[in-house]
Amino acid sequence: MNPKIERLIYISVIVVLSFVLLSFGKKDIQLRKQIPVTAEELYKKLGNPKINLQVIDVRPYEVSEEEEDEAEETDYYTGVHIPGAIPFPDCDESKTPEEALPQINPYLPTVIVSKDGDPEIFKKCAEKFPFAQNLKGGMVAWDEEGYPEDEGEYTPPSAGGGGGCL
Amino acid sequence: MSMVERILFWMAIIVLIIGIFGMKADISNLEKQLQQTVQASSEGGEE
Repeated sequence: MNPKIERLIYISVIVVLSFVLLSFGKKDIQLRKQIPVTAEELYKKLGNPKINLQVIDVRPYEVSEEEEDEAEETDYYTGVHIPGAIPFPDCDESKTPEEALPQINPYLPTVIVSKDGDPEIFKKCAEKFPFAQNLKGGMVAWDEEGYPEDEGEYTPPSAGGGGGCL
Repeated sequence: MSMVERILFWMAIIVLIIGIFGMKADISNLEKQLQQTVQASSEGGEE
């Protein structure tokens, strides 16, 4: 066989297989977006330093002093949050603390944490994070399961710090 | 076309085929999970 034709055949087979693999990859990402992650699964993942995962908290960052008495701690970020979670209220850059913005990486596998796992806010955020999953039951479910929590303002991780956050 | 080139092409093809099968297994696993999630949420809604 002519070497040029043989090469062309091999390359076309590789191109076709690559397209199939890519389309499967896209389908895989879409399916993952539809399956919410439970608090238990997230806890296990966060405890595994081999898994690189970003937790984005889309609840309001803080509440005003008047609202603080009525609001529950799970209503806002400074009340209580998952350790290492990055605040990104309503997935809106204008509402996000300045020090949190550079920490947000849209291309990392991400878990979106809302108050109660609201699918609407997740849909909005999923447009910004291609590899996002919703936390089933949101912060309320995490709180009810009794997993570790932090409270107070967001502090970015120090340079060179590593490992799991739980 | 040299033998080395042919072997490299075959290796690429085999790697891609393995990737496709792996991805397919992963997708069917995710579809099962999704089905279970939908089922659980519809049962929860009925209660």
